[in-house]
Amino acid sequence: MSATVPGGWRAARVTPLGELHTPPRMTAALLRLVVQVVLVASLWRGLYATTGTTAGLTRDQAVTYAVLAVLATRIRALDQYSGRDTVQQHMHFGTIVYWYLRPLPPQRYYALRALGEQLYGFVWALTGYAVCLAVGFVQPPGSAVAAAVFGLSVLLGQWVLYYVMLVIDQLCFWTLRNGAAILILVFAQNLLSGVYAPLWFFPDWFITLSRFLPFQATLSVPLSLYVGRIPVSQAGPQLALQAAWVVALALFTRLLWRRAAQRVISQGG
Amino acid sequence: MSGSIQVRGLSRTFHTTVRRPGFAGALKSLVKPERVAKEAVCDVTFEVAPGELLALLGPNGAGKSTTIKMLTGILTPTSGEARVAGVVPYRERERNARNIGAVFGQRTQLWWDLPVRESFAILRDIYGVPEREHRVRLGEFDELLALSSFWDTRVRHLSLGQRVRCDLAAALLHDPPVVFLDEPTIGMDVVVKEQVRGFLKHQVEERGRTVLLTTHDMTEVERLAERVVLINHGRLVLDGTLDEIRRRFGSTWQVRATLADPQAAIAPPPGIALLRREGPQVVFGPDGPGAPTVHQALKQVVERYEVTDLAIDEADLEDVMRAAYVQAEAA
Repeated sequence: MSATVPGGWRAARVTPLGELHTPPRMTAALLRLVVQVVLVASLWRGLYATTGTTAGLTRDQAVTYAVLAVLATRIRALDQYSGRDTVQQHMHFGTIVYWYLRPLPPQRYYALRALGEQLYGFVWALTGYAVCLAVGFVQPPGSAVAAAVFGLSVLLGQWVLYYVMLVIDQLCFWTLRNGAAILILVFAQNLLSGVYAPLWFFPDWFITLSRFLPFQATLSVPLSLYVGRIPVSQAGPQLALQAAWVVALALFTRLLWRRAAQRVISQGG
Repeated sequence: MSGSIQVRGLSRTFHTTVRRPGFAGALKSLVKPERVAKEAVCDVTFEVAPGELLALLGPNGAGKSTTIKMLTGILTPTSGEARVAGVVPYRERERNARNIGAVFGQRTQLWWDLPVRESFAILRDIYGVPEREHRVRLGEFDELLALSSFWDTRVRHLSLGQRVRCDLAAALLHDPPVVFLDEPTIGMDVVVKEQVRGFLKHQVEERGRTVLLTTHDMTEVERLAERVVLINHGRLVLDGTLDEIRRRFGSTWQVRATLADPQAAIAPPPGIALLRREGPQVVFGPDGPGAPTVHQALKQVVERYEVTDLAIDEADLEDVMRAAYVQAEAA
C-alpha cells in the first residue's frame, strides 16, 4: 500500500470536466448569459434615458454595475444537480457515505470541488467581461488601484459566497432536502447582494438591514468599488467587513461540519 | 499488514420517534413525541481471518448493513468493539479508510458526469496511489472485469453491470487489504454476476484480501464463501461453514427408494428417519445432528433393503437458508 500523502486536488476538476463533457449545457449557459447581459444593459440604459445621476450612480456606472453583476452570478451558477453531485442528492441516494469512507475529509473534498467550480466560472466571467468591455457594456475601472482593490474584494466576496452556499448544503444533513432553502437563498442572494438592482436604490432601512447579513459582501461591495460608488479611500472598512464575514462563516461552517459528521456516524449515512 | 476483522459484542441501538396514526396521532407526535429504542445489532461477535471471504447473511432488516457500516467507520456502535486490520474504524476513520474498500449495492461512488477513467484518476489522487502502480492495477482489473471497453464512457451512460464492475475496481484501486461488499451483485444479469464472482475469488485467493460480503444470492455464497455468519433481528444465529448450516437447518436431503417387496418391514439405520411410505415407495431423510451425508445414507439403504429404483432430492442452499431464517424467526 502506498504511503503517499493524499492530495485530492483532482477533485477540483470535477465540475469543469463535467461541463466540458456536456456541450449542450455550455451552449445553454452561453445563450443565457448573452441574453441576460443584453437585456440588463438595455434595461438600465432605458431607465437612465431621462435622468442623470440616481442613487449616486451615473448611467455608465449603473450599466457597468448591472452587467458585472450578471457576469459574477455565472461564477457559481453551475448545474451540479444534473451531475448528481449536490449534498442533497448524496443524502438522498445514500452516496454521502463515500465522503466518509475516503482518507480525504469531506470538508476538504467539498472545498476543492467548490474551488474548481469557482475557477471555471471565473473563466466564463472573465471572458464575458472582456467582451462586454470591448462592446462598451462596461467601463474599465477608474484606476489601477481601484482595479486591485476590486480584485481583492471579489476574492473575499467569492469566499463569503462559498460559505453561504456551504451553510445551505450543510442543512441537508438535518433536513435531507434543501430545495426550499436554496430558493430562499437564491432570492435573498440576488436581492441583498445587489444582483437585481444596486443596493443604493433601496430605502435606508433596507440598506441598514443588509449590512447585518453576509450577502452584500459577496457582490455589492466589490461592484461598488469597481464602479467607484465606494471610493478607494473608503475601501478599508469594507474589505475588513468582508474578511470578518469570511472568518465568522468559516468558524460556523466548521462547527456544522463537526455536527454533520456526528449525525452521519449516528445515523450511518 | 494483517487484514483481519475482529468483532466483539458489537451492538447498535437506534432511537426513533413513533408516528401515531391519524390526524390526532400526528398532532400528538408533534407536540409530545414518543421515542423508542430499536436494537439493530445486538452483541454480535465474530472474526474474519486475513485472506478469508466471509458471507454475512440474514433476512432483510437483520442488521447486516448496520454491522458493515460500523466496520467501515461510518457508524459508531452503542457498545462493543471492532477492529479492522488493527484499526478501530469509528475512532480512526481516515486511517481505516486507507485499509478498506467498500461497495454498497447500487450506490455508486463514481462521478456521474465524468468518464469512468476520470473517476479512477480522482480516486488515485485522493488515496495518493503512484501513477505506475495505478496503471498496473487498472490493467489487472481490466483483464478480469473487461473495463476498457467502456471506461471512457460517462458513468451516467453505463449499464448497471458495467457500473458495478467499475465500482468494484474503484473500491480496490488503492489496494486495500479488507473489502466490504454490501449486496454488490443485486440486480445484475447472470453473466456479469459470474464475472464479478470470478473477480472476487481472484482477489481473495491470489491477492489475499479479506472480504466481508452480504448477499441474498445463495449461488454466490456457495461459489465464494466457505464460512458464513447468519444474523437475524441483530443477533448472531450461527457462525460456521456451509456444511454446518446444511446439517443444522432442516432436511437437506431425501432418499426415495422403491422396494422390491412392498410389504417389507422398515427399520431405518441410525441417523436416518422414515419420512413417508406410499406403497412400495419409501422416503428417508436425516434424523438429528448425527445424520449421515446423502451418499452414506444411500449406501446404507441399498445395503439394508432390496430396491428396484432410487432417487435423491438434495435441498439447495436457498432452501436451507429459508429454513434457517424461519427457525431463527421462531426462536
